[in-house]
Amino acid sequence: MSDDARPANRTSTHETLNFHFTPVDPPKPEEGAINPHAKRTTHVPDVVAALKERFGADVHEVTLYANEHTVRVARERIVDIGRFLKEELGFTYFVDLGGIDRFTEEDRFEIFYNLVNIDAGKRLRLKIRVDEDEPVAPSVTGVWRAANWQERECWDMFGIRFEGHPDLRRMYMPEDFEYHPLRKEFPLLGIPGSLPLPPQAPDAPVSLDPFPAAHGSKPIKSYEEPETDLSEE
Amino acid sequence: MSLLSQIELKDQFRFWPRHNEALFKRLESKHAWLEERHHAPEDLTLDALDNEMVLNIGPQHPATHGVLRCAVKLDGETIDKCVLDLGYLHRGIEKVAEAKTYQEFMPYTDRMDYLSPYSNNVAWCLAVEKITGIEAPERAQWIRMMMCELARISAHLLWMGVGLMDAGAVSVFLWTFELREDLYNIFDHVAGARLTVSHSRIGGLFSDVTDESLAMIRAFCDKFDGAIEGWEKLLNRNRIWIDRNEGIGMLTAEEVVELGMTGPNLRGSGVPYDIRRFEPYLRYEEVDFIIPIRTEGDSLARYFVRMDEMKESVKIVRQCLARIPEIHGPIRVDDAKHAYPSKDEVYYSMEGLIHDFLYTDTGVCPPKGVWSYHAIEAPKGELGFYIESNGTGSPARVRINTPSFTNLQGLEYMLEGAMMGDMVILIGTIDPVMGEADK
Repeated sequence: MSDDARPANRTSTHETLNFHFTPVDPPKPEEGAINPHAKRTTHVPDVVAALKERFGADVHEVTLYANEHTVRVARERIVDIGRFLKEELGFTYFVDLGGIDRFTEEDRFEIFYNLVNIDAGKRLRLKIRVDEDEPVAPSVTGVWRAANWQERECWDMFGIRFEGHPDLRRMYMPEDFEYHPLRKEFPLLGIPGSLPLPPQAPDAPVSLDPFPAAHGSKPIKSYEEPETDLSEE
Repeated sequence: MSLLSQIELKDQFRFWPRHNEALFKRLESKHAWLEERHHAPEDLTLDALDNEMVLNIGPQHPATHGVLRCAVKLDGETIDKCVLDLGYLHRGIEKVAEAKTYQEFMPYTDRMDYLSPYSNNVAWCLAVEKITGIEAPERAQWIRMMMCELARISAHLLWMGVGLMDAGAVSVFLWTFELREDLYNIFDHVAGARLTVSHSRIGGLFSDVTDESLAMIRAFCDKFDGAIEGWEKLLNRNRIWIDRNEGIGMLTAEEVVELGMTGPNLRGSGVPYDIRRFEPYLRYEEVDFIIPIRTEGDSLARYFVRMDEMKESVKIVRQCLARIPEIHGPIRVDDAKHAYPSKDEVYYSMEGLIHDFLYTDTGVCPPKGVWSYHAIEAPKGELGFYIESNGTGSPARVRINTPSFTNLQGLEYMLEGAMMGDMVILIGTIDPVMGEADK
């Protein structure tokens, strides 16, 4: 991922002063390098082999870093793969799901699934890629019920729709909000006017900007500032 | 377009009307239409008896332990359906993380689960250490482990005090807070702050523990043994407490796994899943402790699990207290690219100052295009950080898997069919912290 992928509000005008503590692209550690925090649960070559045997070309990429296996699979097959993992390989415990915005790359969004087989002590990460033009992924709530809220959060934060989700409401932001905040193009300080907030004083108007000072307007105060004679002195 | 949005509101301003509309629609309640009919033309007659009762509990209700909003549809005293509304404390700290360096982000984790900030710090530091490949010195690991267990006791004490206060026993709340005060004093001594400790650093700790703080911890352990014995005498066979908890919020082992719950809620239903055993981190493989498990799966089982967990934590703390004086050595990695130099170096050497400046400016840089996940067993359950790096000093993406969020999902299921009077007990038994659930 290039430096362009950093949030827009961090790019300074002094491009030449962009200083890096380490080289921009340090060499990737070799596969199998010993990580002091490596866990034996996350190293699952047997599961990867079983997936490859069963789904063949739908397993796109297998990576290993810090002793963690990540299997990137075809988006369309995620429900089948999930069902196979749950019913035949015992990955009954759904831990987590999250979106990743890769911004400038092809197939902009990624979704990872963090799955655990409690009895065998195994942890596996699945990944799928979703295109920006059609940000739709199949919902795995039919396989793991626990994915419900996580998928809602992913929809809320990245705007990826989950086909077949029973209740795709926003998780954190109100339904009236029109943006997806964890996308890289969303500014860190928010968009003024996108989210009306209660007035700060009884007579004050509704405030439409949570960070007025940052956007150059005057914040509404709930009190009158006492007059000072400091300026005269 | 619904009727609600057609009503002219004149000078009256409504916040997020579509949000509430969607919420009530999810509740499948006539209440939403009732609200519409309040503003409807004259020809629609209004009969309250046509409508079931819908109750909005929270976000300001004290029994919801924060800003949790539960919209419940009632049939008499039974909860027909419950919809939880989260996000009243959403600060977007995953977004904030993308604009901070790895070390800068650490104080934000204090504000997630504010009942056990120390374990959040440690969870974040371990996650960064994993993706970068740093190993903290042994002494730092033991201190971290000890403080994490104290944080677990502190969080469970709050659960206990508040949970019992919800059931009507205010005195227990005062007793537990007396001990939590001692814990805060310990944190103050060790870290320099009572609540937002921010003591852990990437690659080690900010400061070493003193003999005085070790003595305080030892005194706390002795005091705690006596205290918990008294509480167990009071509660374990207490008719009121058992009647309020037994058979309430029943979840089978299959259900908790299906709902993805973590922590004591999972172990109260007989699922042996604890990260300290599943993926041992720090020095948990070297200490002797058990994972308390109950198979009943009701609220009472979760009470026993948490009480036993506190006792196990004290056991671990004692073992740490015995080991820490034996281990001599640094508390932070001696590598300028991986950890801060000590303050002495910063003040008295040019290199130290440069390293300190560069570490504050850029900090650790994990390899480009890699990702990793590290989880710890926080008091509420599995707390994990997924980090994806782009080779610079700030992460490309941080995904925080918080236990309160996953547990609350199970609460929605538990509340359906429960009695209204048990609702407060059930929220207490899930033990959510909204700062963590809302991130």
